[in-house]
Amino acid sequence: MKETKRKKDGRQSVSYAKWGYIFIAPFFLVYFVFTLIPQFLTIYNSFFETYRDGLKQIGPNFVGLQNYITLFTPDADGIIRILKYASNTMIMWVAGALPQFVIALLLAIFFTSYRLNIKGQGFFKTVIYMPNLIMAAAFSMLFFTLFTRGGPIQMYLAETGAINQTFDFFSNRVTVRGMIALMNFLMWFGNTTIVLMAGIMGIDQSLFESATLDGANAVQVFFKVTMPLLMPIFVYCLITAMIGGIQMFDVPQVLTKGNGAPDELSRTLVMYLNGYLTNKNYGMAGAISVIIFIITGILGGIVYKMLSAQYKDPEQK
Amino acid sequence: MKRFVAMLLVVAMVFSMAACGKKQETSAEQGKVFNIYAWNEEFKGFFEKYYTVPEGVTVNWIINPSDNGVYQQKLDEALLKQADAPADEKIDLFLAEADYIGKYVDSEYTMDISSFGFQNADTQYEYTVKAASDANGVCKGVSFQCCPAAVIYRKSIAKEVLGTDVPEEVQAKLDSWEKFDAVAADAKAKGYYMTASFAETFRAFSNNCTKPWVDENNNLQFDDQILAWIDQTDKYIENGYTLTAGVWDKEKTDQMFKDGKTMCFFGPAWYYNFCMTNAQDAENGCVGDWSIVKGPQAYFWGGTWLLAATGSDNTEMLKDIFETFTVNEDVCSKLVENENQYPNNTKVVEKYANDANYGNTSILDGQNDIAIFSELAKDIKWENHTNYDQLLNEGLQNKLQEFYNGSVDKDTAMKNFYNYVKETYANINVPEN
Repeated sequence: MKETKRKKDGRQSVSYAKWGYIFIAPFFLVYFVFTLIPQFLTIYNSFFETYRDGLKQIGPNFVGLQNYITLFTPDADGIIRILKYASNTMIMWVAGALPQFVIALLLAIFFTSYRLNIKGQGFFKTVIYMPNLIMAAAFSMLFFTLFTRGGPIQMYLAETGAINQTFDFFSNRVTVRGMIALMNFLMWFGNTTIVLMAGIMGIDQSLFESATLDGANAVQVFFKVTMPLLMPIFVYCLITAMIGGIQMFDVPQVLTKGNGAPDELSRTLVMYLNGYLTNKNYGMAGAISVIIFIITGILGGIVYKMLSAQYKDPEQK
Repeated sequence: MKRFVAMLLVVAMVFSMAACGKKQETSAEQGKVFNIYAWNEEFKGFFEKYYTVPEGVTVNWIINPSDNGVYQQKLDEALLKQADAPADEKIDLFLAEADYIGKYVDSEYTMDISSFGFQNADTQYEYTVKAASDANGVCKGVSFQCCPAAVIYRKSIAKEVLGTDVPEEVQAKLDSWEKFDAVAADAKAKGYYMTASFAETFRAFSNNCTKPWVDENNNLQFDDQILAWIDQTDKYIENGYTLTAGVWDKEKTDQMFKDGKTMCFFGPAWYYNFCMTNAQDAENGCVGDWSIVKGPQAYFWGGTWLLAATGSDNTEMLKDIFETFTVNEDVCSKLVENENQYPNNTKVVEKYANDANYGNTSILDGQNDIAIFSELAKDIKWENHTNYDQLLNEGLQNKLQEFYNGSVDKDTAMKNFYNYVKETYANINVPEN
């Protein structure tokens, strides 16, 4: 190990700061090449008519805002399809995220509680994380096989009389959306639990102990101690989950074979985008991507503002 | 330890470099890697059984599913990059279906098969050659099968519904759509379904269209045959003559088990192996309870063409493969006897059609199905196809299925179909909606 010589006036001291930049450079380089440039290209493409007819490339022809106008032009019934798909996406995300966060919070608190002191935590943590390891498409395929007409669950329920013989899980919007929400919930609650647990364990145990000594009950401890201190991690979880939710694709795509049945009520924004990619229609697909980007930005901002306003760090007041 | 690992790495690198050098030396004339794009394992099975790959050549299968146009998308990507791809990564052969073969045949990405010395034999069915030929009549590939399609019926159910299971008599009762519909009502009255999928009869109509899906101005148009299919299906669903399952759905194929309640299925020879595995089930199947007849309307369905990709460095092998699966009578005979196929070789077909001892026992009751198919094959014409057929046929069925299973009304279903078309093909004009 060489020792850095430091003169009294400090003029010849060695600066280690540049190493910091060098070490983070690969990330920025990769981000620039594989994320930032494509992002700008997407915005650029969204102003062009460009697609393939068979193997022939049509365009690119500059069309200004035409792609956006097409997206927001209502059809004869006054339905703006992109809004319909956006609301489908939100409904299915919320239906899955609500139980996901409630259960994840509960589990995280149980697992970290010094009073419960649950045995075999490693086992439970592994099991709840397990669904996340399965490929979403495979998971979706499994649900399809189980619930399809003539599939084991449909047959069993029909035979026990719980549902009508001809009941089809895939032609009812509640069941289709429900299945999608359930799958997202199952796949992600374990992940959220682990992250929230890490957050809770980062809180000083003495705070819980002193709150208990002061006579606070479990509910009070949760709302007055755990939640405010967990808030940064919680908001992080919520926002990443929301971004994932807006980009929901593989589960509904595989489950409904790309149709978004029934009546496109389980069709998500990215499935819509994917429809245009069938023939490499980068113009329309680009416009949808930009809209998704804007929606994500706005919603992320709202969630961040709302939650961080509610639980302000007392020291910052 | 560190030194040991470093040595190991160096040794590994030297070896891998040596391997590279060796590969390049020997790939002088013909390539060492043969790449085939396909959408299922069907042809792969025949290829591995009946074609002997030349020594030293590795065959790579790149298989992508056909649903939602995934196969075409992956294939297109690879073809567009074909010119710049290294020799061993170039596609040599790819498979195409009747619904979109034109897209590839009319492009520079397929090559004239006579350029490597393959001549179409006159034993090949004319329509299979026409389908693989571009606007100037240059042929780009061959089909290893010919796909005249028939009505495949359950004999035991026919006996109950029609009072007979003899093919000639059954045919007399099913030789027009009016009669077919009337029999459907009888079947229903006796507790049976006429067909097991709302789209079962689709191909019988759609492959008899007199105009293509899009006109010369790229407007979407519905042929009378398609409209007739919709009318028929509306009625069949309303009266409970059929099920709301799709052609490939489990609910439909379950009807082929012994305890199935469905009388008629529509399909060509490939349908036996591809869709009727339940009927061949050792325990719950019903081999021998089946016969075929022409039915109300002659038609064909599907077919797999083998197209030669421009830039292939394995032309000798291409020629060999084409010969094996079209000209080679021995292989074509085996396709009939062992694989239930209807080959693209009229000579072999005639041999079996006129052979009193030949009968299909692996699924039918020993009936000579080749004799019936060969009659139907004479009528097949190749016309009114567009490059969009696959996704338009698929899309129409998917969207209408929602109407038939009661989740939307018919107007909404059609609107969803138009939206789907608009989204999938920006250049096709759909009716205002």
